[in-house]
Amino acid sequence: MAAQDDAPFLRIEGVSKSFGTFEAVKNVSLTVGKGEIFSLLGGSGCGKTTLLRMLAGFETPTKGRIFLDGRDMAAVPPWERPVHMMFQSYAIFPHMTVEANVGYGLKHEVGLSKADRAARVAAMLDLVQLSPFAKRKPHQISGGQRQRVALARALARQPKLLLLDEPLAALDKKLREHTQFELMSIQERTGVTFIVVTHDQEEAMTLSDRIAVMEKGEVRQVGTPTEVYESPASRFVAGFIGSVNSFDATVIGHEVPHLRLDVPALGSEILTRDMPGLVAGQHVSLAVRPEKLRITKDRPDGPNCMAGHVKDLACFGKDSLYRIALPGALVQAHAVNARRGDEGARIADWDDAVWVSFDPSSAIVLVD
Amino acid sequence: MARGRFARWFDNRGWTLLLIGAPYVWLVILFLLPFLIVVAMSVATNTPTAPPFSFGGDHPWINLEPFTRVLTDGLYLRAFLTSILNAFVAMVLCLLIGYPMALGLTRVSKSWRTILLMLVILPFWTSFLLRVYAWMGLMGKNSWFNGLLTDFWNVLVPLDWAIRSVPMMHTNFAVVLVMVYTYLPFMILPLYASLERLDPTLDEAAMDLGSRPYQVFLDVTLPQSIPGIIAGGMLVFIPAAGELVIPSLVGNASQPMIGKIIQDEFGQARDWPMASAVAVALLVLMVVPTMIYSRYQAKAEGAK
Repeated sequence: MAAQDDAPFLRIEGVSKSFGTFEAVKNVSLTVGKGEIFSLLGGSGCGKTTLLRMLAGFETPTKGRIFLDGRDMAAVPPWERPVHMMFQSYAIFPHMTVEANVGYGLKHEVGLSKADRAARVAAMLDLVQLSPFAKRKPHQISGGQRQRVALARALARQPKLLLLDEPLAALDKKLREHTQFELMSIQERTGVTFIVVTHDQEEAMTLSDRIAVMEKGEVRQVGTPTEVYESPASRFVAGFIGSVNSFDATVIGHEVPHLRLDVPALGSEILTRDMPGLVAGQHVSLAVRPEKLRITKDRPDGPNCMAGHVKDLACFGKDSLYRIALPGALVQAHAVNARRGDEGARIADWDDAVWVSFDPSSAIVLVD
Repeated sequence: MARGRFARWFDNRGWTLLLIGAPYVWLVILFLLPFLIVVAMSVATNTPTAPPFSFGGDHPWINLEPFTRVLTDGLYLRAFLTSILNAFVAMVLCLLIGYPMALGLTRVSKSWRTILLMLVILPFWTSFLLRVYAWMGLMGKNSWFNGLLTDFWNVLVPLDWAIRSVPMMHTNFAVVLVMVYTYLPFMILPLYASLERLDPTLDEAAMDLGSRPYQVFLDVTLPQSIPGIIAGGMLVFIPAAGELVIPSLVGNASQPMIGKIIQDEFGQARDWPMASAVAVALLVLMVVPTMIYSRYQAKAEGAK
């Protein structure tokens, strides 16, 4: 069925969902391409799980429509959707072996012989490296292994769309990093479209081809991880993805290719990349990521230099976080610990007078 | 921090032993000892004395005659068979009626759940005897209830089959009906307890993987509720098999259940050894399913 190759694989059209008077999802429209890893990112209660449950068929949209591969999903019950879900709790059947869990969906596959079914289960267990545990019961394997059982079970019926609800939330940090890459490699090998719900921005950044940032039931921004990080559309998105220093600012005027802003908190005028459509006197926000700030002992050349002193510093090993007091604000700056050495090798120490600067192209101007 | 004298005194090992030991002492004095007396009595000889049994003298120290009679006399075998059959049918009916009710309890809102659970337990607040008498009134020949059923029957069948009343009282049907009514809460409560613990996302997972709701029930809900089914089944079957009051009041006197036999042997016949032998036989009969159950439970526990 390559008839509509350019049509999006999954199309969500103006979908809303209300529970009583509470609107959990508000007029969401999204398209997802075939083979994409698409993340729904947001804090708890932002509607991401409700949206996922509507895709699975557990909830019915109050308004709007969902098309999968050109087919309207409204009247299709969960058990007939070519969509499978990996639940946050994994929802593994405790009374069945690992093997029986993985093969559960296959018993509904018409025309699949017993031998074929066993072969598919074996292949799936192989894919998630659980073959030696086939005969175990769920309580006899670790949390990470249970997660892979859930993945294998959801993939066994070769769904068109795989929904993953906080797939890594229950794993510890070390296992999470490992599993992230495993998920990506499995997605690559199977070619199944993944929709991932997560509250963890780092997880969304590493896993996804594209991210939809949600807040209060609405989609705030859709884009690649880089787009969302480097060009957030709003103060909310900028603050939700990564950390950010943000300040109130007033537009002074365009100085092509720059824009001049008055930023009282920084005690100086700031140059940023020009943004069309802004007029002098308009109130905006200036946002600068901590890693975009440079810390130097001497005053650097160029614009956007502020003098301050080190209020606090925390060393994380590979990098350090500085909190620097400027006359009107406390800013955060990340510095990579490139040189190896004792405390003396640091750029600056507690209470040192330093200069903070950033490139005009590194700053983000937010109207919203 | 200095610990008070009371706390130190209370932490004494002796107290722990007493707390754990007390129930066992209770069980030994009030259950095991009387039971041993019954066992001893079951191998005594019936004599026209007071109490009406004796060991030794002109009689054998151990008299196995009561037991051979239990195993060979048709009266006792029939009574056992009637008891087991009535109790089994009552248990199955309780399961069939109780399962949907227990499942329903887990699917309603919290506030409804409290109300409905109260309704399940409510009958216990009225005297058991009173409730059996109420059923006797309903089933009796001249009751409005019987009359209604009679009218229904007479309207539906040809004239030749017309009846004056539905023969309900003094039948095994009546015994089973009242036992189902009486023991239903004992089935619903353990079933509810086991169903309530199940994770509803498992149902969603099964549905997501292609199962229709009835398949979800068969594959996910039912197998996980087996401990509840067994517990409920035991709680109904065991007391129902030894039931005395219900068959005496609404049952067929010519088809006595085992409880009635024990009472008659003990009272009217004054044959205490025979009564004890029947009681011991009943206990052995009940212990077998109980042991199967604890085996199963031990296996299930081991699997956790």
